[in-house]
Amino acid sequence: MLVELKTPVFIPEMKTALIESVYCAEGSELAMGTKLLDVSVDLSGAFAQNCPPISYYRMVLRDRLWLRKLLLAPGEHCEPGDPIALFSTEPDEPLDVAPARAARYMTAGIVYHEGMWSGRTA
Amino acid sequence: MRGVDLTLGPLAAEGFVVNRSGIQWLYEDGHVCRPNEVVAYCNVSLDPAPGVRTSGVPFAAERELQAALAPRVAGRLRTGSGTSLGGHLDTLKAFPWEADTVVGRLEPLDGAGWDTPDIAGALRVLMLAGRRATALADVLTGLLPGWHNRTRGWWCDGDTAPSTLLNLGICDTDGPVSGDRGAFLEMFEHAAGPGQIVVVPNHPIAPCAPCLLEQFTRTPAERQAIAADLATALADPAIPATSDDWLFAGSFAATVESSPMRETYEFLTPGGLRQGGPAEAVLLSLNVESFNLMRHRTLGYHLHLLPFHRAAAGPAIRAWLAKSFEPVRRSLDDVRNDYLKLFDTVGGATGGRFLILNRMSTSGREDITSYMPFDAPMSHTLANVASKEMNLMLHDLADARDVAIIDVDAIAAELGGAAHLPDGVHQSGTMQAVVRSEILEALA
Repeated sequence: MLVELKTPVFIPEMKTALIESVYCAEGSELAMGTKLLDVSVDLSGAFAQNCPPISYYRMVLRDRLWLRKLLLAPGEHCEPGDPIALFSTEPDEPLDVAPARAARYMTAGIVYHEGMWSGRTA
Repeated sequence: MRGVDLTLGPLAAEGFVVNRSGIQWLYEDGHVCRPNEVVAYCNVSLDPAPGVRTSGVPFAAERELQAALAPRVAGRLRTGSGTSLGGHLDTLKAFPWEADTVVGRLEPLDGAGWDTPDIAGALRVLMLAGRRATALADVLTGLLPGWHNRTRGWWCDGDTAPSTLLNLGICDTDGPVSGDRGAFLEMFEHAAGPGQIVVVPNHPIAPCAPCLLEQFTRTPAERQAIAADLATALADPAIPATSDDWLFAGSFAATVESSPMRETYEFLTPGGLRQGGPAEAVLLSLNVESFNLMRHRTLGYHLHLLPFHRAAAGPAIRAWLAKSFEPVRRSLDDVRNDYLKLFDTVGGATGGRFLILNRMSTSGREDITSYMPFDAPMSHTLANVASKEMNLMLHDLADARDVAIIDVDAIAAELGGAAHLPDGVHQSGTMQAVVRSEILEALA
């Protein structure tokens, strides 16, 4: 069965989220509790403003799945509803069918860390 | 309908003539005023009186000197015709300040008038003073316009220097203290008694405890060493400095040169010029305390820059930061100890006490069903756990020292964080009003 992960609404006012860190590789088996990725959400959007209201979130898997495709990389933006990754319940299922359900995950607010993409490019 | 003339009232400075610009009204004729609500302002200057020789002029470093005008009682405002002349005449200080100048009228809301019309008609004057980050920043229009490295305000009541609240926080303190117009109007409208408010913005050094303490205790030799090191970096031909670098460096150098917690102030009052300071109370933001700071590899001083200020630097400054500074990690105990050193050092030198805004520590936007995926210590990863630990540390500090905690966490929980504090730092107007009243209560 194919399972998809889509960008959630981290904050109701958000326009986009920026992928800051990705912790898993395509083809890997992911256990329950695996950290998937970190994102930042800048409520000021594309227009630079003083003291931009930026918050950071981590998505953690609440499923046991195989990661088949990562559709976004650090430094890329996504809007709510955009697909982030494709998983499967078996390692070698064909990918040419529609996902059967959404991945189960949890979201946690995190502190900024030096490994984030925006820190490397500042 | 009975009403009273609104007069400017006395402003005096021995040996000087107080001049003013035309009146700039903030509201239309007919506006219903609250007591102590600023309704107009004018620019003010002190010029040597004829025949008087003087070696210095008061407020010389504060190019923005303004008198904001507020009725002492509620009423309907009638703006005086001819008080605003428009153009440069409402910015240039071309007219003498005369106590009995009538600038408008105040009409009673209930038609009955006031028992003490003289008091009702005597405008209360809120003096505002801005020290420019550079004399080049000559923005002439508005309340405290332009770029300042210090702004302050005080009610012109009485003959003595008022006590001072010095705001050294970041956005979470600036919003409530400076208010919607950036001129402390809401704070002064609701303050019970006389006082001064001073705001020093974090351009560019973020005001965490180690940086504030080093700024307070820095010796002239240390300042010279920092300046020389910075000058060397800007002169490196390998990475030519741009205008962004020079502007950043100028602001940085000004921050290094002196400590706002040591500064004294001049006051213009109805009775003349007065001197006061240093600040009796200092307001800080817990949100600015980071576990990750920078430390100069050879000179040893700490540096903390908010990311958007760091982004304002040019290539030469960024190269200097990367080469000359190393990352240092603080523990929660380190943050507490840094605060203790700051409180004890400043308190011992000036008698100043501290008020600190704590952090919002909850979020309705996360859905943590298990903490197992997060390594210990969880405060290194999870923002709300880190905030909770910081807030608890603050309570431990308040047990050990005379520190007032402004409980943003509780205020946000009561009002609703999603609507009033969406990112944990920037507050709604409603929340700013509550935070403001908590600050005023802590000062009382």
